[in-house]
Amino acid sequence: MDIVTLVFGQAAPTLAAVSRYILPLTAVLIVLRCVRSMLREHYEPETWAYLYLTGDVMIPLRHWECILGRAKSVDAQIDDPAVERLHACLIRDVTGLWRVYNLGRGDTYVNGEQVLAGGAFIQDADVLTLGNVSARFVDLTEEERSSLLKYRHAPGRRVRPSVTLLLLTFFQLLLVLQQLVYNPDAGFGVAMAFGVVAAVQWAYFIVLRASGQTGFEPELLAFFLSSVGMSMAASKTPNDMIKYIILFLAAVGLYVFLCLWVRDLHRVKAVRLYAFVAAVGLLAATLVLATERNGARSWIEIGSFTIQPSEFVKVLYIYAGAATLDRLFVNRNLIFYIGFSAACVGLLALMGDFGTALVFFVTFLVISFMRSGNFATVFLAVAGAVLGVMLVVTVKPHVVARFQTWGHVWEDIYGNGYQQVRAMSAAASGGLFGQGSGNGWLVDIYAAETDMVFAVISEELGLITALCCVGSLLALAIFVVKNASAGRSSYFVIAAAATMSMMLVQVILNVYGTMDILPFTGVTFPFASVGGSSLIACWMLLAFVKGSDMRAHASFAVKRPEKFSGGIGVEEDDSADGYDQDYPQDYPQDGYDDGYDDENGYDGYYTQGGRS
Amino acid sequence: MRKVTTRAFAVLLLAALVVMGMGVYLFRLVRDGGDWASFYANDSVYTRGVLNRGSVTDRKGVVLAAAGEDAFHYADDATVRRACLHVVGDLDGNIGTSILSVFRPKFINYSFFTGTTTKGGSMQLTIDADISAAAYNALSGRKGTVLVYNYQTGEILCMVSTPGWDPEQGVNFDLNDPNYEGAFINRAISSVFTPGSVFKLVTMAAAIENIPDIFQQTFTCSGSAIIGGQKIVCSGHHGTLTVDEGLACSCNIVFGEVGRQLGGVRISQYAEKYGLTSAHTLNSEITTAAGSVPAAPGDGDAAWAGIGQYEDLINPYAFLRLMGAIANGGTAVEPTILAGKSGGSEKLMEPTTAQKLSEMMSFNVQYEYGSWAYPGLDMHAKTGTAEVGNGSTHAWFAGFITNKPLAFVVMAERAGGGYAVASPIANTVLQKAVSVLD
Repeated sequence: MDIVTLVFGQAAPTLAAVSRYILPLTAVLIVLRCVRSMLREHYEPETWAYLYLTGDVMIPLRHWECILGRAKSVDAQIDDPAVERLHACLIRDVTGLWRVYNLGRGDTYVNGEQVLAGGAFIQDADVLTLGNVSARFVDLTEEERSSLLKYRHAPGRRVRPSVTLLLLTFFQLLLVLQQLVYNPDAGFGVAMAFGVVAAVQWAYFIVLRASGQTGFEPELLAFFLSSVGMSMAASKTPNDMIKYIILFLAAVGLYVFLCLWVRDLHRVKAVRLYAFVAAVGLLAATLVLATERNGARSWIEIGSFTIQPSEFVKVLYIYAGAATLDRLFVNRNLIFYIGFSAACVGLLALMGDFGTALVFFVTFLVISFMRSGNFATVFLAVAGAVLGVMLVVTVKPHVVARFQTWGHVWEDIYGNGYQQVRAMSAAASGGLFGQGSGNGWLVDIYAAETDMVFAVISEELGLITALCCVGSLLALAIFVVKNASAGRSSYFVIAAAATMSMMLVQVILNVYGTMDILPFTGVTFPFASVGGSSLIACWMLLAFVKGSDMRAHASFAVKRPEKFSGGIGVEEDDSADGYDQDYPQDYPQDGYDDGYDDENGYDGYYTQGGRS
Repeated sequence: MRKVTTRAFAVLLLAALVVMGMGVYLFRLVRDGGDWASFYANDSVYTRGVLNRGSVTDRKGVVLAAAGEDAFHYADDATVRRACLHVVGDLDGNIGTSILSVFRPKFINYSFFTGTTTKGGSMQLTIDADISAAAYNALSGRKGTVLVYNYQTGEILCMVSTPGWDPEQGVNFDLNDPNYEGAFINRAISSVFTPGSVFKLVTMAAAIENIPDIFQQTFTCSGSAIIGGQKIVCSGHHGTLTVDEGLACSCNIVFGEVGRQLGGVRISQYAEKYGLTSAHTLNSEITTAAGSVPAAPGDGDAAWAGIGQYEDLINPYAFLRLMGAIANGGTAVEPTILAGKSGGSEKLMEPTTAQKLSEMMSFNVQYEYGSWAYPGLDMHAKTGTAEVGNGSTHAWFAGFITNKPLAFVVMAERAGGGYAVASPIANTVLQKAVSVLD
């Protein structure tokens, strides 16, 4: 009360009461601005090379991974009976080198030389022969590419991110005000927590803006959701905010790191194996070290922190599970992936973490659906069934009990419906505008700030804000789908789609489990649920969304097209890009060999390579 | 690559699931949000499980129940508390059709838009505390119900059901105690009873509209008669009489014969037409029990059905509507219990039929009951003494007065004769009502 009176004087209660109605409107504005900016703008895909067929038929290659063949679904369709349905694929790496792989039973030749199992390099003016159809491969020069780039729109011109950021800061200010007025225990710590969030988002914006980035919508939505999460934390443990400040900083830090990391697909691929190992290892370690909570052994306690390793495994799972197109055509890879997924879901099953196992399972289905290039989807279905059986094995007594209560929570208000009926009651009580941040009672119910956070948001911040939270994630999901068509590599497309699938499944289980539309499984709501592991994982997953953002200059997780090929023709742009200090002129010099299993004299090509 | 990008649409499938689920949630929230918010664990409106906001008053502002900062209280007067118990209900929700059960969202001032607010609701009822107390006293410990409503405006002034208890003291009786049989039930709303002779009004209405020479016919009552092979017994030896006289002295032989002439199907149809076999909703939320008047198959059963026995079962609230319709020229104004609300109206019968029935009900009083029994009241009524086995009878008295536009139903369960028991109760209550309304 001291701080409030100090800052707002006697008017504080009135201001807080009024702010309850302004807050949801601010939330709507923030989300709408981001949505407009992300989804309204149409942007041309990048073009990377052309194939010239006889008769001056020109096929643009719009991705880094393109399938050539007779089928309608391929990227470059060559309608000739001599060409296989899926004949070959062309893959470009970060340095601008193209390789061609033979896919089907047909033969592929580069300049008359047959392409063998390991693939072959192809460069400008080479003649590519599929069956008996020949095409000239034309790589784009830097000049051509930069002239093409001018036709691409830069994002965020119409909807200024700075204004959205101001709105978001205002939103956070209102939350602080409400906390200080309504939450008797809220004090300096709460104000500081929101201060840190605001400071981080402004610092982030200013640095990236100065470096020429223009797209901020995914992060703004994440900051918005994190603010809501911070409000939940403030309601739950107003005297323990320092912990959440640290966790938030760690989350954003790791997000930035991962964004920079995924700029380089080669680097990403090089450590995928470690990700596989780390994922399984973490889950196995959890199984051994964890303490049991609610019948699930999914928490490890270290000092005053409790860690839920399965949250981090989500990041590793997607990191390892997404794949580039060349890998998609090797059955061995898919089998390995299915085995990996089975291990993850199986370990989660052993832990008794039914909700997370379900999240992984759905993500597995999405990834494998996207990965299954041209073979045995039947096999996948079988694998899916096996994982499904494992899920059933997960079903422990406490889970069964929740299924039995499902749809009848009002008949079991003292037993298994205890949490849900309270969640529904509080959510309804909040109305459209909420009782005010810190002015709710639901947060005191066990696990409400994590498993029933949608209801706590509804109670304290109102239905409108709660819907904005769900809307944010829906917008990101649509954004990812929209980006897919312009994606350079299937890796980013799959990773981003898997990320948003994962988050949406979490939304479905969290919200509808709480509201008795689905069985209550105790899954977190992305970003907004109180909990360090979950928050960090969500921010890291956001890097995959950023990695799929193909608007020009929109995402620092995506390397600019003019920055490839050893820096030719990019000097004038460098001043605008702050990240060059971190990644000086990129790839060429530093040990390119490692992990690149290549027998075809890659190094030789490389030293000659680069265009001049 | 195109295949992969196309398949990214799988994400949209999940997005669609999110949207669908949200649709389901919002639908349920709009439909049930009030009930959710009314849940006792909602600390926004409850203090340790006790409502901390909201009030209900009678039509004159007498507090029937109110939540304060520290405690929840019912009416100050003990008789009013007991008399209005089944209308107001109690905090524990023991009476499912009560205001505190059905309209609790209104009581706590819940709305979908604002949720719960710092100010509770202040509900005003059409109920009159004094008339209700008079009715409660008049029932004097009998089980039963008294209903009075304004047949022009629909306002229910009195809806008393016994037995009950003092809500201020809570349920401190044994639920199996026969003295408290059905204490949690509002008999006016949730029960059906054998109507006995009050049902002769329905039979009479059907006769007016279906037997052209009904008023020219004469009947002979010698205490009993065989109709369709069944022996119909009458309470008296009425000799030769017309149907008007038959209604006035409630002659079973006359109405057994009228019932035979109408047939079971027609009697059942009229009961249905008059809303006696359907459930009604009071203020859109309180649902009544539906009576049943099955079509009696033979002449004997039809005769019994015509005199309100056979398998006839009537809900007092539905019968009140019918009384209101007769009083109001054939159109029943839907009753309301919330002040300022009106529920529309329904035409139940032709005005001429209503007029004729009204005249006959007045004739009942002049010819048989004696207007001295209802001093100052312009009484139109019908008695009923429904046999329910073991020699016990429900006492009914139903009708209306025109001094004030009030229709009424009195039913005392297993309490004796309609004229002996129910009629004096009606008189006491209506005297009070007229004096209160003046």
